Amino acid sequence: MSKIECAGSIEAAGLEKVYLRGSEHVAALNGVDLKVNAGEFVVISGHSGSGKSTLLHILGGIDRPTKGELSVNQVNLTGISEAALTRFRRDNIGFIFQFYNLLPSLNALDNVSMPSMAKGLSWKAARERAAVLLEQVGLSHRQKHTPGQLSGGEQQRVAIARAMAIEPCVILADEPTGDLDTASANSIVSLMTDLNQRLGITFIIATHNLHLVRLASSSYELLDGRFTQASRK
Amino acid sequence: MDALGYFTVRDLLHDRWRSLLTIISLAVVVVSYLLLAALSQAYLSFGNHAEPSTNLMIIDANALDPMESSLQASILQAAAQIAPDQILATFPSLFRHLDIQGHILQIRAVPLEDMQNRLSLSLLQGNWPVGGQQMVVTDGLIQVTSWKIGTVANIYGEDFQVTGIVRSSGSQFASIWMTYAEGLRLFGSTKGFQIGYVQLAPSANPEEVRARLQADPRINAQAAVYLDTTLADRYNQVNQNLLNLSLVQALISLLAITFGTYNATRLSLTERGHEILLLHVLGFTQAKLRTFLFTRSLVLTLAAYLVGWSISWAFITYQGMHAPISIQAAPLILSLPPASSLLGLLLSVSFAFLGVWLTTGPLSRRGLSALRD
Repeated sequence: MSKIECAGSIEAAGLEKVYLRGSEHVAALNGVDLKVNAGEFVVISGHSGSGKSTLLHILGGIDRPTKGELSVNQVNLTGISEAALTRFRRDNIGFIFQFYNLLPSLNALDNVSMPSMAKGLSWKAARERAAVLLEQVGLSHRQKHTPGQLSGGEQQRVAIARAMAIEPCVILADEPTGDLDTASANSIVSLMTDLNQRLGITFIIATHNLHLVRLASSSYELLDGRFTQASRK
Repeated sequence: MDALGYFTVRDLLHDRWRSLLTIISLAVVVVSYLLLAALSQAYLSFGNHAEPSTNLMIIDANALDPMESSLQASILQAAAQIAPDQILATFPSLFRHLDIQGHILQIRAVPLEDMQNRLSLSLLQGNWPVGGQQMVVTDGLIQVTSWKIGTVANIYGEDFQVTGIVRSSGSQFASIWMTYAEGLRLFGSTKGFQIGYVQLAPSANPEEVRARLQADPRINAQAAVYLDTTLADRYNQVNQNLLNLSLVQALISLLAITFGTYNATRLSLTERGHEILLLHVLGFTQAKLRTFLFTRSLVLTLAAYLVGWSISWAFITYQGMHAPISIQAAPLILSLPPASSLLGLLLSVSFAFLGVWLTTGPLSRRGLSALRD
């Protein structure tokens, strides 16, 4: 696969997110500023409930900030419609989740095909592309297996292949190694760093994994919805 | 193949037991609706008079049931004398209802000439009962029994053979007709006859003649005079209650199909909440998701409707052939009218659509946080 030709940059300024829980307002983000250059490997760490996932969801356009400005690939996502946001997400951003979130009714090949098909690729072309991606993540022999027939590490590899299906500029990963044993986690980390270095895809990863923190080109620590620490290599 | 179409098929087949359960739960609702609608329709048709008769009837004033009536020939002679210019003929009729081979049936015996010419009975098949131990039966009786021409039934210890099938112009009762002579021979003459028929001239005003007869002391001392159709109404005293019941049932059936479909659809989609959110994250717009969910629900609803309709049809057919319902010898005929079936289908699809529409809103508002669960 060739290097991906898109900016993959992210600029966020003063991001705030307030949830209404019952009658109580809970601030998940309290003014987050973030600048990520294309091709960076960014890690965001922090305790559970610190706002990592909320930040990733906002950066990925699957949630909206209560306040603040956000642009991804130089597209301002703050004021665009829900349908436009969905299309932007479909065309530019890949997601990896802690619990994989594969569609249980589909086999690995079909799971990886879905984003391409959502983007408009034909069924045949999407499956051909999915087969190539599964081969790249070392699962060509598991194409016909459903998520229930795969190990955690294998499911996460399928999820990475799925995230790659649309040739994204940015991949957002929420605790991608959180549910894996050490060997599987190391394998997933290697796969992600390889994709970052080989294809230039921007990665933003929310994690507790210290190994990932050490590999990051930039790392941030979130506490109560604010960055308390940042380091850049 | 379209991505969502492909996913729909895979999703339905992957979890085939859950799909089957959804189809079954929807089919139960469809069956409830169709059977209630069929019953409601049968009630509406029950006791309807296709063609009102202008004959008058005289019945013992003290008889609650026509079978208990006991009249003598003098009362018919009196009637003929009261309005000779407006009355063409009078004739007696024996009337019983008996349990014959598990069916409550009416037995009527009138002179053959009156049966043919004055009671608006039309012969549909076979022959009139001319000899001994012969009878004709109404098509209403055929609907509640498995009898046909040639069938022999034991009545009062004697075997009678069906020689023909007739249709009466009024209420469709399950009735046996035999000649008056045969009736007298079978039941005896000690109770006289039960109903006296008065055939009016075409120019006569039935209500006016009825009032004249009723006012005459030779009649009102012992009998009551009715329009021919009044007996059917009196006999079907439950008719009005059945009509009311049919309206309640129609309403219940509509509620069953609407809320039942809606709930089954919503339940099925709520179970799919996680997958729906995931598809949304993968780039399927809410409009596309609604199309997908509606397609999915449409497949399930149509499958369920087909199953439900087939079960209802099979039940009604079986019931009509083997255990027909009759109330006081009047058959209650169940059927699946096309209008009810079509209305049920439209309501099922509409409320499945509503279930999809109302489910997708809350799911999208839940946001992706649900994916962490």
